[in-house]
Amino acid sequence: MFTLDDKVASVLKKYPYNISFRVRDNIVFLQGEVDSHMEWVEIGLSIGRIRGVEGVVNKITWRGASGKEAREEWRRRVFEEKRNAVVGEYDVVIIGGGVVGAALARELSKYELKTALLEKSTDIAAGTTKANNGMIHAGVEPSRGTLKRMLNVRGNAMYGKLAEELGFRFNRLGSLWLVTPRTLASYRKYLPGLLYNLVLKHVFPWVVKIKGLVNGVRSIKIIRGRRIFELEPFATRDAVAAVYIPSTAVVDPYEVAVALAENAEANGVEIHLETEAVGFIKDGSVIRGVVTNKGVFLCRYVVNSAGLYADEVAALAGSEEYTIHPRKGVLLVFHRDTGVFTRHCLAEIILPQDPYTKGGGINPTVHGNVLWGPTAVEVPDKEDTSVTREEIEHVLNKYSGIVPGFPRDKVIRYFAGVRAATFTEDFVIRPAKWVRNLLHVAGIQSPGLAASPAIAEYAVEKLRGMGLRLKPKTGFNPRRRPMPRAADMSLEELEEKIRMDPAWGRIVCTCEFVSEAEIVEAVRRGAKTLDAVKRRTRAGMGECQGSFCTLETALILSRETGVPLDMLLKEEGRLFNGYVRGEQP
Amino acid sequence: MRDATVIGGGPSGLAAAVWLAEKGYDVAVVEVMGELGGMLTQCIHDGFGTRVFGEALSGPEFSERLVKKARLLGLRTFLNTYVKEVRIGKEFKEVVAVSPAGVQRLQTRVIVYAIGCRERNGFEIRLGGARPAGVYTAGMVQRLVNLYGVLPGRRIVIMGGGDVGMIVARHLHLEGVESILMVFPEAGFAGLPRNVQQCILDFGIPFRPRTVVKKVIGKERVEGVVLTRVDEKWNPVEGTEEFHACDTVVLALGLVPYTGELKLGVRMDPATRGPEVNEFFETSVQGVFAVGNLVQVFDYVDDAFETACIAARGVEKYLNSGLKTAPIRLSPGENVRMLTPQRVEWVDDADVPVFLRPAVEKANVRIVVRNREGRVLGGFFKRYVRPSTLERIEVPRSMLSNLQEVSIDIAED
Repeated sequence: MFTLDDKVASVLKKYPYNISFRVRDNIVFLQGEVDSHMEWVEIGLSIGRIRGVEGVVNKITWRGASGKEAREEWRRRVFEEKRNAVVGEYDVVIIGGGVVGAALARELSKYELKTALLEKSTDIAAGTTKANNGMIHAGVEPSRGTLKRMLNVRGNAMYGKLAEELGFRFNRLGSLWLVTPRTLASYRKYLPGLLYNLVLKHVFPWVVKIKGLVNGVRSIKIIRGRRIFELEPFATRDAVAAVYIPSTAVVDPYEVAVALAENAEANGVEIHLETEAVGFIKDGSVIRGVVTNKGVFLCRYVVNSAGLYADEVAALAGSEEYTIHPRKGVLLVFHRDTGVFTRHCLAEIILPQDPYTKGGGINPTVHGNVLWGPTAVEVPDKEDTSVTREEIEHVLNKYSGIVPGFPRDKVIRYFAGVRAATFTEDFVIRPAKWVRNLLHVAGIQSPGLAASPAIAEYAVEKLRGMGLRLKPKTGFNPRRRPMPRAADMSLEELEEKIRMDPAWGRIVCTCEFVSEAEIVEAVRRGAKTLDAVKRRTRAGMGECQGSFCTLETALILSRETGVPLDMLLKEEGRLFNGYVRGEQP
Repeated sequence: MRDATVIGGGPSGLAAAVWLAEKGYDVAVVEVMGELGGMLTQCIHDGFGTRVFGEALSGPEFSERLVKKARLLGLRTFLNTYVKEVRIGKEFKEVVAVSPAGVQRLQTRVIVYAIGCRERNGFEIRLGGARPAGVYTAGMVQRLVNLYGVLPGRRIVIMGGGDVGMIVARHLHLEGVESILMVFPEAGFAGLPRNVQQCILDFGIPFRPRTVVKKVIGKERVEGVVLTRVDEKWNPVEGTEEFHACDTVVLALGLVPYTGELKLGVRMDPATRGPEVNEFFETSVQGVFAVGNLVQVFDYVDDAFETACIAARGVEKYLNSGLKTAPIRLSPGENVRMLTPQRVEWVDDADVPVFLRPAVEKANVRIVVRNREGRVLGGFFKRYVRPSTLERIEVPRSMLSNLQEVSIDIAED
């Protein structure tokens, strides 16, 4: 029998570097130096793939890596300053207010518990969540034995009810995976002549369907010929078959996260924004309090759902069991005019997948726009959401084969998000190995949004297993009042609204038809920054990308929050810079 | 029912409305902002109205004159009113508009769209890098500084060497920002020569031709840009990348007709990026006119004003059941980037004013009107043409009679 040590040693032998390692409780710690970031990623992944490895802490450095000293120094300083300033006492403290943290907060709000959700940014969903493409995957892709597989199908099934309760937009439009001559082109040499077409049209779709069925995805259909184009009139005529997965859905990811957080808050969870964990007060292997820039949150249990920073939080808590390797995804947003070109989430299956842009496709949004992407590029910097011209071209070229007539020039915006991947490439939802009352909810990458309701349920069960007493709350209200929108109203409804509040009749963002009343409502619901208002109202998300309404929106935000115009934030950075003559006119 | 409803209360919309009101027609103006004047209210520099009023006015002064006239005429104006839908019926048209007073349903025989243009944003030119706070369009900066007294930042990079960029550069300079750098891919400024002198050279504002921003750097707020030189085809020259520290990027990337708000299926011209119009600025939908910068972006407000007056005459003809003939199509030929109008179809005596944008910079040329076979019908001598200056010619109707298609090009004299 080979031990884990033997296996790790044999994998590392393949690399021309002197890399030392240590294994503790199935967690592999790597140390050494390599030439490039890509090698750092590659080595981490190859260790992560070893069966039995539960986590890779990759302490290898690469040439040119930038240090984290400044951030660590800041944390130490804030820790010393704030370690004695108690904010309150809680049963559970959740670190990280992405969609997972928000879903967890809401799940915990069903019980008699005092819970706090800490988010370092100025808004919920301001990290990875906000840059998601909004797809609620059906669950065909995850492989056997993964948590992803277990939680994706279940999460998908939970969305319908959740959307109804929380009043967020949800469209179960289904997905269509096209099989074209390109699908298996790399394997053509094994499939001579007509065999290729036969396999392509009649065998391969079944392989996909069976994989889905095994994962628990229902109602998958294989369609061929004219039927494909009845479903998707603009799809490439190269498609010889398609796998139709009706349970795929789309949502607006930040609307979901904000809705979850609002509902959690309404049910008693405290949400603390601009609150960043900098360290822990511990008693042996038990956390007694989370120290933040706002003070100490004394607590009995801690959930680490800190996304891209989950590894650093785990390290601060004394249970570093994984390293996050940031993986960037670029998405292009198309004008709403292009909505007619796609009715489903569309993708072309091409095997083997290009490791740098695996998956992705053409996805309609709940707002009628269309998204292309995302890419998947390993980046050294957790906050590298830059987009280059080359990346835009790459996405345009990659997907234009799916819908050849799609107007490629109708891109109105592009953005990137960074996935919080671990080297084991699965969700990490388990009690910490070396801290008794810490639960990891980390490594949540695709299909994390789809799985998030199930992740929350699963995580709460883990907390129960760790000894948390869960007594259902009698007054739990599962419902949230949806954000009212002028764009969704009939003229009569809008007229009625205007009669009660004339601000409904003042349209601030004309591209997206957003009224002043919606901006005021967003502020009342907790939006403090321009981007927070934008995410809740869509002001600035249309054709002109805010060149008309940014200032108008900022003026309303300033009036409603009492923050002077020149002090307003976009997200974390200041929008403007002082008055022209040094003082407010 | 009204004779005409003008959508947009900027200079073009007001000009059309005032013209019609003076003639006794029942007109209303619908404006989305809280005051009339459109973009002119934020243009506090001077140089407006040299042709219309015979003197150089500031933007607010120019619009004030029109607003006063409108008031004297008792013109009906709907402020803070946004047109949500337009319904085209056989007998009349209906403008459905939303305002704090409620939902208005305005019945009208004619609609005049005068909703102007919008600024091109960074996404349209595929600006790369991060998207932190501190990247704004020039028009927004102008509004911010001139109307609210707030500076966007202290160390500014302006992308684009057109008129808007130059004017904003001067304002920011006068308001005391620490540094300004203008960059643009062309070999020289793309705007009017007078602006180059009065806005840039007079104040010694630094600028770099054949230079573009490759990417924006910054996490929360802009921290700088990576500049790169470009060749004549605007392709980046390798090895010329350079970091330039700044806290603000101002995008002066040009204007495009704001057609996103045209709520009906009018035919568009891909060259002007505005709706196709006939010689009286009527769109492809009968009784719906489009004027000013919505049709094509003009250099001077005086030109936009002019189109409104021409359109107003067309509105009058329409209301009085003027006659039309088979349309004569006008298309841009060699060395012409775009032109307006795209067709001539009314029965009328007056010459047809044609606005065209040269695609070349040349001295001593002739703007030539040709028939489909390429035969020259007439020519107009010009001492100097350049893309930054819109040309206008008056084509006699006699030149166009009995034709179906005409092209207009710029040839050596």
